[in-house]
Parts: sequence; C-alpha cells; structure tokens
Amino acid sequence: MKAKDLMIPLYEHLTPDTSLKDAVRLLRDAKRGEEKVGVKGLPVLDSQTRLVGMLTMHDVLRAVYPAYLAMMNLGDFTWEGMIDSLAKQAGDRPVSAFMTNVVVTVRETDPLMECIDHMLKSRIKRVPVINAGGAVVGMLYERDIFFAVAKKMLDEPNGGVL
Amino acid sequence: MTQEVAQASSQVVMGTSFWVATAIFLLAYGIIVTDKIHKTIVAIVGASLMILLSIVTQEDAFHSTELGVDWNVVFLLVSMMIIINIMKPTGVFEYIAIKSAKAAKGQPFMIMAIFSTVTAVVSAFLDNVTTVLLIAPVTLLICEALELDVVPFLITEALASNIGGTATLIGDPPNIMIASKAQLDFMAFVYHLTPVIIVVLIAYIISIKFIFGRRLKVREELRQRVMAMNELDAIKDPALLKKSLAVLAVTITGFVMHGALHMQPATIALSGAGLLLLVSGTKEPHHILAEAEWTTLFFFIGLFIIIGGVVKVGLIKWMSIQVLDLTRGNLFGTAMIVMWFSAFASAFIDNIPYVATMNPLIVDMAKQLWPDLSGLQLLHHPDLMPLWWSLALGACLGGNGTAIGASANVIVCGMAEKMGRPIAFRKFMLYGMPLMVESVIICTVYVWLRYYVLKI
Repeated sequence: MKAKDLMIPLYEHLTPDTSLKDAVRLLRDAKRGEEKVGVKGLPVLDSQTRLVGMLTMHDVLRAVYPAYLAMMNLGDFTWEGMIDSLAKQAGDRPVSAFMTNVVVTVRETDPLMECIDHMLKSRIKRVPVINAGGAVVGMLYERDIFFAVAKKMLDEPNGGVL
Repeated sequence: MTQEVAQASSQVVMGTSFWVATAIFLLAYGIIVTDKIHKTIVAIVGASLMILLSIVTQEDAFHSTELGVDWNVVFLLVSMMIIINIMKPTGVFEYIAIKSAKAAKGQPFMIMAIFSTVTAVVSAFLDNVTTVLLIAPVTLLICEALELDVVPFLITEALASNIGGTATLIGDPPNIMIASKAQLDFMAFVYHLTPVIIVVLIAYIISIKFIFGRRLKVREELRQRVMAMNELDAIKDPALLKKSLAVLAVTITGFVMHGALHMQPATIALSGAGLLLLVSGTKEPHHILAEAEWTTLFFFIGLFIIIGGVVKVGLIKWMSIQVLDLTRGNLFGTAMIVMWFSAFASAFIDNIPYVATMNPLIVDMAKQLWPDLSGLQLLHHPDLMPLWWSLALGACLGGNGTAIGASANVIVCGMAEKMGRPIAFRKFMLYGMPLMVESVIICTVYVWLRYYVLKI
C-alpha cells in the first residue's frame, strides 16, 4: 500500500496572504473525504502552487495564545473575555504569521511504512502528499492510516467502519 | 608629574608581542561592537589566539590571578544562576509580581512605580537580565488586562533593573568584577553605593511620573481584572519555596558577612548553590545546571584571557599612563573622567569588556602613583577608592543610555518586538539617555561631596 492509496485528494488549500479569519473558516468547513467536514490542518501553497507551509488547529490556538503565558507559570491569571480580543486581533493577520514553515512531505509512491516513519519521527498527524513534479496532490491523515492498520489487525475488509 | 609619566612610559616595551596582543584585543572588541559574530565566539577565539601565539601561557590563562580567568567572578555568577533556576518553578516571582500589581490597586502609574521599585530591589540581589526576564512576562499580562501600551512599562523596568543592580556587589557583573579585582567586600558596596542608588531610584521614579504619569489611564472594569487575580495561585511548590527562601536568606547573610569571615563572595554563592541543590531533593541536576547561561559565562572566561594578554604586554599600563598624563595626577579629575567616560562608553558598548579593561588600568594607574605600595595597601589606598566607586557607578548606570547599553535593555526590546510592539533605537534613547544623565549627575555630586568635601 502506498501514500496515494490512502490520501485524501486536495480539495482546498490556503495561501500565505489568506487572513487567519478566512483560514479558520476553511478549516472548519473543508471537506475531508465523503461527508466528513472540518480538517485539522491544510497546506499553504504560494501562487505557483508550491508548498510553503502548513496551518493546523494547533497553530490557530497558538495564534490566540500570548507568548508571555508560555514564558512563566501565568496560566492562573487570565480573565473572562481574554480570548475574544486576542482572537479578533489575530483574525486579521495573514496565515504566513502563524503557519509552520518546515513541512514534512511524502511522495505519492512512498510505501505506507515510510509515511508512518515520517509522521512518528516528526510528531505530526497529517502530511501533504506530493507528485513527481513537486505539486501537492493530497493529504494523508493519521486517522486514515489508523483505519488501514485496523483493517490488517482486525482482519476485517473495511477496518471495522460500518 | 609629567616627567615621572614620561619615565614610566619608557617602561613599556612595544615589541612584536605588544602589537600582536593589541591587534587581537582591538580586533576582538571591534567585532564584538559590530555584532557580526556572536560575542562569546569572539571571546573564545580571541582567548585561544592569545595562548596559541604565546602572548600568555596556558598556565597564565587558567591559573594566574593577575593575568588569567577570574574564577571568583565565574563561580559567583554560575552559583547565583543555579539558585535562581531552582527557585523559578516554585512560582515565587509570579507571586511577587501579581502581588505588586494588586498592591498598586491596578492603577497604571502605581503599577509602573511599584514594578520599577521591585525590579530595582530584586536586581540588587539577582542578575539584571534574570530579573527582567521574570518581571516582563507578568508586565505583558497586566498590560493586556488593563489594555495599556506595554512599551513604557518595559523600558522603565529595564532602566530600573540597571539602577538597582548598581547598589550591591552581586547586583551587576561590573560590580562583581570590580569587587574581585579591588578585593572589596559586600558591605563596602552597601556602604558606598547603596545610599546614592536609593537617591537615584527616588529621582528616577519622580522623573517617570512626569514623563509617563499623565498618559496612563485605565477603565474601572479593566482594573477589576487585575484585582480578581489571586497571587497565591502562583505558588506551585510551597515546600521547595520554603527551602529556597531559607537558603537564599542564609546566602545573603553569608554575603553580608563574607568580609568579616575572610571568605570570597564566590565561596558563599557556591555554598548556597550546593546547599539548595542538596535540600531541593532534585534527583536530576542536569537541567538545572544546563540552564545556566553558559554563553555569558564563556564570554567572561574568554575576555579575562584576552585582557590578561594585553596586561602582560603592557598595553593597559601604557593606557593608564596616558590617562594620568591627561589628568596630571589630579585624582578628583580622574574620578570624574572615569565616571562620565564609563557612562557614555557603557551606553554604547558592553560594560563587561569595558570594566574588564578598566580594572587592570586602574590598578596600573595606582602602581604609577604609589610605586612603593602593594596588595591591599595599594588597592584600598584612600585616594584610589573614589575611582573604584566612580567606575562602578558610571559603568553600571551608563548602560541605561541606549537600547544596546545593557543586556536587560536588549532583552526587553526583544520581548517587545516578539509581542508586535518593537521599540526603535531612538525611542529608547529618548527616554534612556536623559534618565541616565540625570543619574550620573546625582552620582557626580555624591562622589564630590562624600569623598572630596566631607571625606567620609
């Protein structure tokens, strides 16, 4: 089994200039295979459709999380409405300010074990799949690999999904 | 006098090694000023060149008190770093800061004044950078809660940390270096520097009231956000906190008494660090030790060896002769030049390499003036003492002049930038320079009055 057998073809992507507000809307509504809505991460492509980064839900949380809370143990000293104003401030800033720049990718033809190797070593749960030309053609999600593994483990043809 | 100076001048032999050592020294300091290569790397490379090119021997560099690494400084710094690293997770610093903001009743100028005062007092005992790193995150939080511009708060805290650090032997690296070179104890600094620093701090708080006071306004409901915070939530490890405070109290008592006990400050600090490591019950000291500021420590180590090289070849002696020539042996004039030159030099260059150079220069100057004296009789000559204090005051307070004058300033500017509120070099200087000049004027009057009029 190879990356292309399990990947979800790329329906949506972000650009570095997309506002975080629009990006969040897309993350919330994006298609992820049949009937499933909402994705945890989307690739960021430049105008030549080259991969420049990834934006995940984790990055969105980081976007509203002030750096000073991480510097010391100040988590006990927050207030109602703190997220409201920080979320509004972050919403107008571009995706490029919050995306992860270093992106691990896999090729369509990479065997599944190689994909698992990348995901475990880089501690990521989703990885863009690129073709021979370097263009992003799909996304490989931890969840889909889990179903593939489950199928083998349980010896069920559909991996237990009803 | 001039004749004597000319005579002394001839004692410096300007041979090949003189010029090689001078070149390494100038090149290293030049690169440090331009910031092209990290200063610690420059210091290590410069030091190794001094040894490789046989300016100093390795024996000189590692073991000589006159020419080598001042381990008293290095161990004092590393020990204090260990103590702070153990204390940090207890939450005591968050507690103090939140408590201060509440004591100010969430009133913006009161917060600025109390935070500045707390920063100054904490800086007198801990390294300035550490203090600023501990107070700045809380300041960012409080300003966010009060919807205030954080920049004036960060600037005033950085300036306050440099003022407070000047007050004691352990407050600022220049003082640690001066104390070690001049063999001055903790109480000498308390006796000679603390009084004037208290005056400087009061003048500073009044000044910032005039500069920022009127602009700071806050809505009542935002004030409640701060008043609703419970500082006790900050304490994460009460047991370790009690042990830490006890060890800190013992260590500070040790500093107060180290002169009377005939012990070096580093002995006290190392004992405190060892004791706290022991009683903290940590099973894995690796991360506590790894978190020490090794880049700073190696910067010191490298600099000491570079300075050792130029001391050995006589460059520093030659420079001291020029200073004496300039002031014609008038020691009040020399003290004033040392203070003001140090202040403006430290505003633009790192005061650590500056003081590392000035220390042997003052010792050499003393040797020219009193050739028959040695040891403590020379270092503690009554006419020389005001020079040490002028150097300490000028070099420590001078850092406030610009955004790059002191490490604490660099840290707050970096933090402000990270928060999307960059502080321009000129903006920092607009506040820093006048406040620095104000503090040095106060010190000038103090040194003149205390050592040359009242002579106490």
